[in-house]
Amino acid sequence: MSGYEILSLDDLDKVPYRGSGEVLRPLRKRLGFRAFGVNVWSAEAAGDKLIPPHEEDSGHEELYVVVRGTASFTVGDETFDAPAGTLIHAKSGTFRAATAAEAATTILVAGGKEGEAFTPGGWEDVHVAFAFLDAGDAAAGRAIMQAANAPEDYLWGKHYNLACYEAMAGATDAALEHLRSALELNRDQVMKWLPHDTDLDSLRGDPRFEELAE
Amino acid sequence: MSVAHIDELDAIEMPDGFVWRPIRRHFDIRAFGVNAYTALEVGGQIVEEHTESQLGHEEIYLVLRGRALFTVEGNEHELSAGQLVFLRDPQLRRGAIALDEDTVVLALGGKPGEAHVVSAWEAMFAAVPYSREENWDEAIRIHVEALVEQPDHPALLYNLACMEARGGRHLDALLHLQRAVELDRKWADYARKDSDFAAIVGEPGFPA
Repeated sequence: MSGYEILSLDDLDKVPYRGSGEVLRPLRKRLGFRAFGVNVWSAEAAGDKLIPPHEEDSGHEELYVVVRGTASFTVGDETFDAPAGTLIHAKSGTFRAATAAEAATTILVAGGKEGEAFTPGGWEDVHVAFAFLDAGDAAAGRAIMQAANAPEDYLWGKHYNLACYEAMAGATDAALEHLRSALELNRDQVMKWLPHDTDLDSLRGDPRFEELAE
Repeated sequence: MSVAHIDELDAIEMPDGFVWRPIRRHFDIRAFGVNAYTALEVGGQIVEEHTESQLGHEEIYLVLRGRALFTVEGNEHELSAGQLVFLRDPQLRRGAIALDEDTVVLALGGKPGEAHVVSAWEAMFAAVPYSREENWDEAIRIHVEALVEQPDHPALLYNLACMEARGGRHLDALLHLQRAVELDRKWADYARKDSDFAAIVGEPGFPA
């Protein structure tokens, strides 16, 4: 690996964000950047979803930089147009979402937690892996899921995501094993998702699932 | 939540000719380093020639607008809007000049594996306009504020001493200079040749 690299944002992969349809351009993983989180989101047409609605309850503060086009941002209860060159700083716990107000809008996002060294949470891997699954390459996606980083206190999440992946891939036994591990690590968190998560629908009705879900 | 356009940020002209547009400081971001840079003219410096060997930061420079000619270890790369250079090796010498009038470069940086520490150079940069207009009180205030977070940062102490010497606070200047030299002897050599200390160079206690 050389000491530096030149890259165009246009050359980044386009990864559909599961469930809501935004397009992640995984910059941090592409570069192997380790100091903090940094990624790109893009939309082709005006009206397309751009930044998934979320509150960033990870404790990360985030800076959104509109690189191209214009985004319609909602932060808290305020909605406004953000043309190229706009910087939006949002603290953890604040609701944020954006759609494209112009075609070819691109946003770069940097994020991290004050006072803590950055550890990749593995969420990027989940979306990349599912893109492989959707494209028919379950083995490639599985390898990414299994190799994904997870902090000690989020190991339950890694197993839960693997359970979802294996359930969607039709690997019921593997899905149930990961679900069992996730429940053992953090039952309270898992039970917030398990009852209504459609990723797990193929497991419902299996007596082993019903036993775990009790 | 706060919002600003990159053109609304402070534009602090540095002695080397580039213009610092402080993003991290504007929003008081604590988790990572982020700034923007512009140039005074086409062909002018937009990213100063430097390495990150002292801070150990990996850096991303993204051209937000216009074009810039980056030089990394002597290799030239012309980058246009939407292109970036990622420098994972802190030892590499990097810099850039602007090729278009309205070029803007976004810089992101931090040290892998460590919680972010606000770089001391930000306070030194922020104090430049005040030093230029000989507003020593404000230049000193900015340094003192930075020292609250990094009380034993020798370069900050040295710069503070410079401001204090120029501003007539001779005793404070001597004390801060002595502390900088205690932390790193090299500052004594710098001080002997530094015209900022002309008013106190003969005082008892001035580092020999």
